[in-house]
Amino acid sequence: MTSMQKGSSILGASVSRRRLLVGAGTAIAAASLFSPAVAKGGEVKIISNLGGAEQRAVLARVAAAYEAKTGVKVVINNMDHEAHKTAIRSYLAVGAPDICFWFSGNRMKTFVVRDMFDDISDLVAREGLADKLGVTLSAVTVDGKQYGLPMAGILWGLFYRKDVFAEKGWAPPKTYAEMLALGQSARSAGMAPMAMGTKELWPTGGFFDHLNLRINGLDKHMALMEGKVAYTDPMLKPVFDTWEELIKADFFSPNGSSFGWEQAGAMLAQKKAALMDLGGFVQSAFPKEERDQIAYAPFPELVSGMARYEDFSVNSIHIPKKAANKEGARDFLAFFYAPENLGDFIEAEGGIPPRNDCPPSKDALVNTAVEELKKVKGTAQYYDRDTDPDMAQEGMKGFQEFTIKPERREQILARLEKTRARVFK
Amino acid sequence: MTSVWRRQLRRISPFLFILPGALLFGTVILLACVETVYISFHDWDGMGAMRWIGFGNYAELIADPQFYVSLKNNLIWLALFMLAPPLGLALALLVNQQIAGMRIVKSLFFMPLVLASVTVGLVFGWVYDPNFGLLALIVQAFGGEPPALLSDENTVTYAIVLAGLWPQVAFCMVLFLAGLNNLSSDLIGAGRVDGARGLAMFRHVVLPQLTQVSFIALAVSVIGALRSFDMIAVMTAGGPFGSSTVLAYQMYEQSIFSYRFGYGAAIATVLFVIMAAFITWYLLMMNRMERRG
Repeated sequence: MTSMQKGSSILGASVSRRRLLVGAGTAIAAASLFSPAVAKGGEVKIISNLGGAEQRAVLARVAAAYEAKTGVKVVINNMDHEAHKTAIRSYLAVGAPDICFWFSGNRMKTFVVRDMFDDISDLVAREGLADKLGVTLSAVTVDGKQYGLPMAGILWGLFYRKDVFAEKGWAPPKTYAEMLALGQSARSAGMAPMAMGTKELWPTGGFFDHLNLRINGLDKHMALMEGKVAYTDPMLKPVFDTWEELIKADFFSPNGSSFGWEQAGAMLAQKKAALMDLGGFVQSAFPKEERDQIAYAPFPELVSGMARYEDFSVNSIHIPKKAANKEGARDFLAFFYAPENLGDFIEAEGGIPPRNDCPPSKDALVNTAVEELKKVKGTAQYYDRDTDPDMAQEGMKGFQEFTIKPERREQILARLEKTRARVFK
Repeated sequence: MTSVWRRQLRRISPFLFILPGALLFGTVILLACVETVYISFHDWDGMGAMRWIGFGNYAELIADPQFYVSLKNNLIWLALFMLAPPLGLALALLVNQQIAGMRIVKSLFFMPLVLASVTVGLVFGWVYDPNFGLLALIVQAFGGEPPALLSDENTVTYAIVLAGLWPQVAFCMVLFLAGLNNLSSDLIGAGRVDGARGLAMFRHVVLPQLTQVSFIALAVSVIGALRSFDMIAVMTAGGPFGSSTVLAYQMYEQSIFSYRFGYGAAIATVLFVIMAAFITWYLLMMNRMERRG
């Protein structure tokens, strides 16, 4: 998702100026955090990137409850979600808070290898989280140590409208043949088989993940994400063959690169498209009263006998290495991570709770996802969370080009391979 | 003694007055420029250690097909933005007449200048939307297939430049309106006595008096074209697949999304050189004009 910050300047020096601004912004943020003159140890500072008003309210409520219980002051500094992605790099170096929100997996590892997140394995052990977290624990683990706590999870897959499928007599596709057949009937009903808006690039990454996980499986997929397999490797041929076949069969909504996922979601909501490949947050594109019509289906099987692997991305919360009050941060995290507090927080986001002892959700989509996750053999996170950010940007751009000009496949893959060789040297 | 001191003070005072501005300009602009050039010789992710690679970033830039796409798009922006001064002049002449209601028309033409360019980009993004955009509705009304201007690599840059021209033309119009208000009535009167009217009056009496303003309008348009960034970020994010990227946007993308500050700085330096060349030419022309009086 694009952030809308301006960075132009007459003299073309905006890289430095931008850094200066980010630095200044962080300094101001840090100054505002430090300003209440409370003795050290008596305060926990949090930088949050939460966009939703409900989530912010839950965090504020938990913080207030913690203050009332312990007398320790909790200061929350809310930042814009997209701006935070840039700011974190400077505030982890200068003016770190005690706790910050981020994303697990490779995005977390970026900071772990630079020694910017604190090892919190002790907290995980103290709270006995290992059995309660299960599969999500691996998302915050590097070399056997935990560097964060997993937060809301998103299970990616196909979403459709129950009423539309019931009315047309369709069933969610289980195989590739059924997928093509559904495409045919959707088109003859005047609908796009699958809504996809690629203006922000990332939806193409998810679609690639699904094809690759179904065709090559998790291990080979992760090897590609880690830069160990070439983009020109023959294992990717069936992936792009399948994709090309779908493109040529007009499977995707036309002109996808002119709009983002919200508009694609609206196409699904307005019954102009039959399917969409996304996470449970697709419901925000639906009017409240129609949300119970949304249903989830796994991406169809492409190679028979392949175990079921899915994209399951997990947000996370961390203690920066340079935090002033690491003990206080651990204590607050333990409180915040208690099943009832965490449950409320995750529920406000519509995500999947990371620990298995959270109270059951009132959201049917979340409960389905929790059940589905139990059937999954293994998980990746998402293209732009699993691979290097530099590689991800070029990769998703290449995938977008492929969706529009599939005949350029060779050039695109050659270019991606060049990028891979540069990034993973 | 005091008179010596006073004379000294008089000599220093201009420097004292300039000092705050010079300091600010020095740190925010000059120092930043120098630092950018310095960073461009490094491999740096914006956080960790910087690694000196000499001209490595520039060597990569020369071999990067995306760089040439950006450069080409910058040239398209530059060429089309040259339309802004003449169009602005035409509009200024149109709305400079004493007709009832012209004030409203004038402010309507002025409006895009008040809007943030992000807003302009968003509005045009909607106009171009192939599903519900104004353009699609118009084309459909004539029975055509709505074009997806922003999804086609061949049309996308032109579509964005058109959106960018809207406020730029308004800006030029305002400049020329100010110029038209400053016309010497003596000269016009003299021209009228000599029988000049219509096109001849405009060509030989009005236009020469607008040279200075035209020059400013040209400079503003060139700079506007080279710094184009926000419209692209809002309308296409450089897409589809980087085909609407310009140098400023590529620099942003590389630094912020790909964590490659060194490479971004190298792009910034190239953009800086292009702008510096133009600004040098501009200052030379300015000087010459001033010397002529």
